[in-house]
Amino acid sequence: MSNENIAELEKRKRGMGLKASARLSNTIIYILLVVISIIWIIPFLCIVLQSFRVESTWKVGYVIPQQWGFDNYVKLWSTNFPRWYLNTFVIALVVAVVQTLIVLCMSYTLSRFRFKMRAGLMRFMLILGMFPGMLAMIILYRVLDDLGMTGENMLPGLILVYVASSGMGYYVSKGFFDTIPKSLDEAARIDGATRAQVLTKIILPLAKPIVIYTILTAFMGPWGDFVFARYVSQLKPLGMNVAVGLQSWLATDTMTHDYYTLFCAGGVVVALPVAILFMCLQKYYVEGVTGGAVKG
Amino acid sequence: MASVKLTKVKKIYDNNVVAVHDFDLDIKDKEFVVFVGPSGCGKSTTLRMIAGLEEISEGTIEIDGEVVNDLQPKDRGIAMVFQNYALYPHMTVYDNIAFSLRLQKVPEDVIYEKVTNAAEILGITEYLLRKPRALSGGQRQRVAIGRAMVRNSKVFLMDEPLSNLDAKLRNQMRAEIILLRQKLDTTFIYVTHDQTEAMTLADRIVIMKDGYIMQVGTPEECFDMPNNLFVAEFIGAPKMNVLKTELSQEGGKYFVKPFGVKLEVDGVKGDMLKEKKVPAGEVILGVRPEHIVLAKEGEPGAIPVVLEVNEMMGSELHLHVYTEDGTRLIVRVPTIDLTHEQRENMVNGHKLFITFEGKVMHFFDPESEKNLLV
Repeated sequence: MSNENIAELEKRKRGMGLKASARLSNTIIYILLVVISIIWIIPFLCIVLQSFRVESTWKVGYVIPQQWGFDNYVKLWSTNFPRWYLNTFVIALVVAVVQTLIVLCMSYTLSRFRFKMRAGLMRFMLILGMFPGMLAMIILYRVLDDLGMTGENMLPGLILVYVASSGMGYYVSKGFFDTIPKSLDEAARIDGATRAQVLTKIILPLAKPIVIYTILTAFMGPWGDFVFARYVSQLKPLGMNVAVGLQSWLATDTMTHDYYTLFCAGGVVVALPVAILFMCLQKYYVEGVTGGAVKG
Repeated sequence: MASVKLTKVKKIYDNNVVAVHDFDLDIKDKEFVVFVGPSGCGKSTTLRMIAGLEEISEGTIEIDGEVVNDLQPKDRGIAMVFQNYALYPHMTVYDNIAFSLRLQKVPEDVIYEKVTNAAEILGITEYLLRKPRALSGGQRQRVAIGRAMVRNSKVFLMDEPLSNLDAKLRNQMRAEIILLRQKLDTTFIYVTHDQTEAMTLADRIVIMKDGYIMQVGTPEECFDMPNNLFVAEFIGAPKMNVLKTELSQEGGKYFVKPFGVKLEVDGVKGDMLKEKKVPAGEVILGVRPEHIVLAKEGEPGAIPVVLEVNEMMGSELHLHVYTEDGTRLIVRVPTIDLTHEQRENMVNGHKLFITFEGKVMHFFDPESEKNLLV
């Protein structure tokens, strides 16, 4: 065999070795991903399956129902669940709208305007944001209680608390606005647009991904909140949101016995709209996060 | 009337960096003025102050006799074309051009007429329904110009509009800007770092360096009589050859002795030296590459050089040569002036002789670098 043939053979062997090792590492990665996906999906799958179980209402040792039906979903609407759902929806909707407005205005200002203490303000908010919200829980509760916004009147109180810190969530949005060339603002101003018109007619249409991302995250926060909502509601039945209300059905063994499958059905009803929303808007969500992340 | 007057205009940034120093300039109505200079010289900053996109730290800017320091950009009667076009990506070409008119609540039928007229002049009618991302660089630039055109503004500002285009397209667009200028008949203020654009487009050039005005003049004035060494080297391509030499006087005549070869400063430059009574002494001598000619060995004033690099530019050769003392010079020689044998001999290491006349010499003070004849 000539030297050239040997060299060619060695080259081919090396190539095959590379392909084989790439195949092996891909296989391991995919196995890992499948395992992680199963671990993630199983709890949701269990909840969904249990929500259709009609032969009993308590916890059981099996996942797949023996008898299927929509009884739990029907029974949900004769409990306080609709009130909790409405509370949560109203809070989430109002917070989503107000927070989005505040965040977008804040982000645009910090992205486009230069003023004294701008850098200091951003640093201050960054440091402040590092402290967990839990630290303020007690004093916030006292304030809301003094204002009469706890218990069954918790709705305006919770909205106030969620909205009050909106401005601090500007990072991702500001990063996204930074990717839009400032010359567009300048061109629009020369064309005769006011600052507000520049924002509404030029910047926001280009910032659709980040607007959707901001709305989604602003909606999700109150939708899934448990700790603060539980505190402020004082466990008054009409003052609860869905998270607190559903958890109250598992508060004692007796309640779990009677309400477990109802709890599962409630969980599915709470999760479904948000899941659909995310599935429809995930393209914009990803664009918003990555667009903002590029410049930060 | 659309005159622009800048009086002692200064721009100081927050970190006390002075970007523009005491800028004084009177731009007449319908004049085409080009601000040119290297990056960071303050030309774009000055343009942006005129546009109202930068605050003026000191001084005043007047447009048509009205001080506009505190006026918003939209109230100054200006239109601007940006380097990166700044077209609104989510709007069609039609909507981009119509945007300013819609803000002014102009009726749609009037908008249609103005937009289609502008599109026809610029040759972009077939692109009106496209979005900017579906256009080439040259087409986008025309749309940007169209957007500025429909505003019927007093002053047209252009901030390096051709920088993002390739060389061929730049030449084409330069010609179109000249035609546009004739059609619009308005005042233009154009910023570029390309001295070729400045020379071909401008009625007057403002050459800037480090925030200062180096010279204001017509292209001919800046080329033939540069105020100082910076202007002399900046205007003209390839840049002027400069070297230190002794200027001497003998029998009422001036002489220089570059590379040991005595040359008389005759003609108009000699007369100017006499008129200005320039004393003998060390000077910086400048000669443009196109003013150096090939000489024969033994000819009076022939300077021996060795060819280092020969750049074939088509209609001319750019010869990079060096003298016996190692000084590097550039010589532009039209190829039509060369025989076939001469062209064949233009190889690296080939020995040549060059010379130049007195009338093409420029003299600069070695310390202040100012032109001794200005």
